Amino acid sequence: MIHSIIKRDGRVVLYDQQKIAAAIVRSMTAAADGDAADAARVANDVQRELEATFREQSPNIEAIQDAVERQLMNHGFNAAAKAYILYRANRTRAREANTSLMKTIDEITNADARKSDMKRDNANIDGNTAMGSMLQIGAAGAKAYNEMYLLRPEHARAYREGDIHIHDFDFYSLTTTCCQIDILRLFHGGFSTGHGYLREPQSIQSYAALAAIAIQSNQNDQHGGQSIPNFDYGMAEGVAKTYRKAFYRRLRDIVEDFLELPDEDEAIRALLAEAEAQTGETPRLESSEVFLTAVTQKLCRQYSLSEDDARRLLNRACDRAAKKTDRDTKQAMEGFVHNLNTMHSRAGAQTPFSSINYGTDTSPEGRMAIRNVLLALDAGLGHGETCIFPIHIFKVKEGVNYNPGDPNYDLFRLSCKVSARRLFPNFTFLDSPFNLQYYVPGHPETEVATMGCRTRVMGNVYDPSRQIAYSRGNLSFTSINLPRLAIESQGDEQVFYGKLRDMMEMVSQQLLDRFEIQASKHVYNYPFLMGQGVWLDSDGLNLHDQVREVLKHGTLSIGFIGLAETLTALYGHHHGESAAMQEKGLEIIGFMRDFCDAKSQKMRMNFTLLATPAEGLSGRFLRLDQKRYGKLPGITDREYYTNSFHIPVWFPISAYEKIRLEAPYHALCNAGHISYVELDGDTARNVEAFESVVRCMHDCGIGYGSINHPVDRDPVCGYVGIIGDVCPRCGRHEGEEIPPERVEELRKLYPEMPAFQGIE
Amino acid sequence: MTIKSNQEKLGQGVGFERIRRITGYLVGTMDKWNDAKRAEERDRVKHSMKKDA
Repeated sequence: MIHSIIKRDGRVVLYDQQKIAAAIVRSMTAAADGDAADAARVANDVQRELEATFREQSPNIEAIQDAVERQLMNHGFNAAAKAYILYRANRTRAREANTSLMKTIDEITNADARKSDMKRDNANIDGNTAMGSMLQIGAAGAKAYNEMYLLRPEHARAYREGDIHIHDFDFYSLTTTCCQIDILRLFHGGFSTGHGYLREPQSIQSYAALAAIAIQSNQNDQHGGQSIPNFDYGMAEGVAKTYRKAFYRRLRDIVEDFLELPDEDEAIRALLAEAEAQTGETPRLESSEVFLTAVTQKLCRQYSLSEDDARRLLNRACDRAAKKTDRDTKQAMEGFVHNLNTMHSRAGAQTPFSSINYGTDTSPEGRMAIRNVLLALDAGLGHGETCIFPIHIFKVKEGVNYNPGDPNYDLFRLSCKVSARRLFPNFTFLDSPFNLQYYVPGHPETEVATMGCRTRVMGNVYDPSRQIAYSRGNLSFTSINLPRLAIESQGDEQVFYGKLRDMMEMVSQQLLDRFEIQASKHVYNYPFLMGQGVWLDSDGLNLHDQVREVLKHGTLSIGFIGLAETLTALYGHHHGESAAMQEKGLEIIGFMRDFCDAKSQKMRMNFTLLATPAEGLSGRFLRLDQKRYGKLPGITDREYYTNSFHIPVWFPISAYEKIRLEAPYHALCNAGHISYVELDGDTARNVEAFESVVRCMHDCGIGYGSINHPVDRDPVCGYVGIIGDVCPRCGRHEGEEIPPERVEELRKLYPEMPAFQGIE
Repeated sequence: MTIKSNQEKLGQGVGFERIRRITGYLVGTMDKWNDAKRAEERDRVKHSMKKDA
């Protein structure tokens, strides 16, 4: 006789046959296989079996469930048995997920981020702060739910076991990745942040402040980084407005002073309004001769001045207004950079991941904005610290800024100089054929722009008339563990390609499943992105409309990491080692691109191939594969897989050769790509050498590239440069003190030295 | 930031900051990098400026 049973947590409770019968009924109903009477008979036999096995002892839950399965099958209720097994497996999965979720939260709560790799998964979230931890706990909870309820079982398994990686999985049910914010369209007529309405900005200071607010607002609607594709064109409008105001004020003051008049405000206002109406032009940094002549004549008439005097006054007003505008622009750009490095978003845990693209606006106003934002980047933060945000991206284009004689060539040179000191700007190359194909002169929206670390959105299968960078972005991306496919194929190329095709098919399905969730959201779920018309065509939607159709302007991206290890696993070498391997590498990535293109055509959606940025992933895939296959030489014997199609970071190769080998992959990876070159400090500080690397990237057809070099800083004396063991400025070792007298000496030499509280 | 008095010597216990790029983003110090990326940064070799292939 069974009296009691043992529950999973060890508690002993009374045996209740009704509960067993109820569970059996549920399975029978689910499978449409048997009724209540059948369930009672099965339950009786379960009891009989338990009595035979356990006699007077208490069975545990697992033993009872085993007996139910057996008896269902004995009675021929195979479908019901299957339903019961599935139900049981699901419960087990949920229980395990709960346990592991609690363990995860425990680690987030109690471990020091410096000791917990999990808490350092994203290097820009401080896992030691309250808000950072809350963000991580939320993410852990969302991940557990998403895996349990939103993924197909095969996708969940592939994700869990590391065949694939679903990026930003914590946001699976919530939103999309990123967007290129067209600030001009946003600013015209003003906009609402969701917390208040902002009027159209009227000066460069407001343009810069609102640009930062736009990035911050949109960051709350999406999980990825945010980017401005037209920073120069956008700021140029603010510069023009500031100049116009400054010009009128300077002209008024100069006239009042020269003629000793008390108040000419109204008169000058009217005079300029007339000149503007007459010529159809406004005062600009480089005003047209027609406009200047009109103003001169009016000054002559109004104040009985000689033409020479009038022109002299006018020129002085122009000069002073230009100086004032330059000062304001400089301050605005410094403010913008400071703002983006200090403002917090997402519950205060991180600064917004932001990027700004510029370099091609050749108007005097645009040039002023570009020069000043570069100078602000060069100056660094309050104590000369290198700015972490935003990512600056300089758009390189022949005829615009690439060659001597191009109108913005000076700014390209300046960008090289600044990047040689501050690691930014990165460079995007509009002349590379896969970018040039979209380029229409005079239409900056057709210039490729980058967001975050590499995301690129240009082609548009859904709407071929809108192949532009503005107002679009990535919806989601999932990466494939390429080396594992190669290891599993055991050197058989055909097997590998078969596995790769299947894997890409599965990932496409998973991306479409995720799209279904994203597409069923409404405008009110994205109050800024959609509500303010930031996303392409969302301005035609109402608050309660679904976003399905307009989202199709975005991309669904399939990524990969570890091409180098993949080639080594398949053929014994990677693409840095021989031309034959380079060909094999291009075949693999070309195959992946073809798959994406075919899928795009079939679905009329933008499936694109991504050279995955592999921050957390490079280690995760590797650890899982090391556990499976051990340390395979050249494949799993390091702590990470190589980033996307890169030549391994440890492989000795010249900068030019690396660029030459990686460039063709840029053409294939249309969802985004980046190549890095590592220079030693001395080479990087040599601007000629630095520029020659950038030019090599341009000429080889790189899409997006940047140059790494050591940037160290001694917070005590403020030195920025390369520091080995000893600071070259103050001569101290790490952690060593410098005597106060030495501090005073240094301060005389370097007035910009940081001031420490209590020292002054 | 610790508050130092006039008597104390400046710089005691203060390390150097080393800014590096990780997957496109700059990171202020390497304290916050995960283990795999620390290893990757450690393994990076400089690329020479030689013209030959």
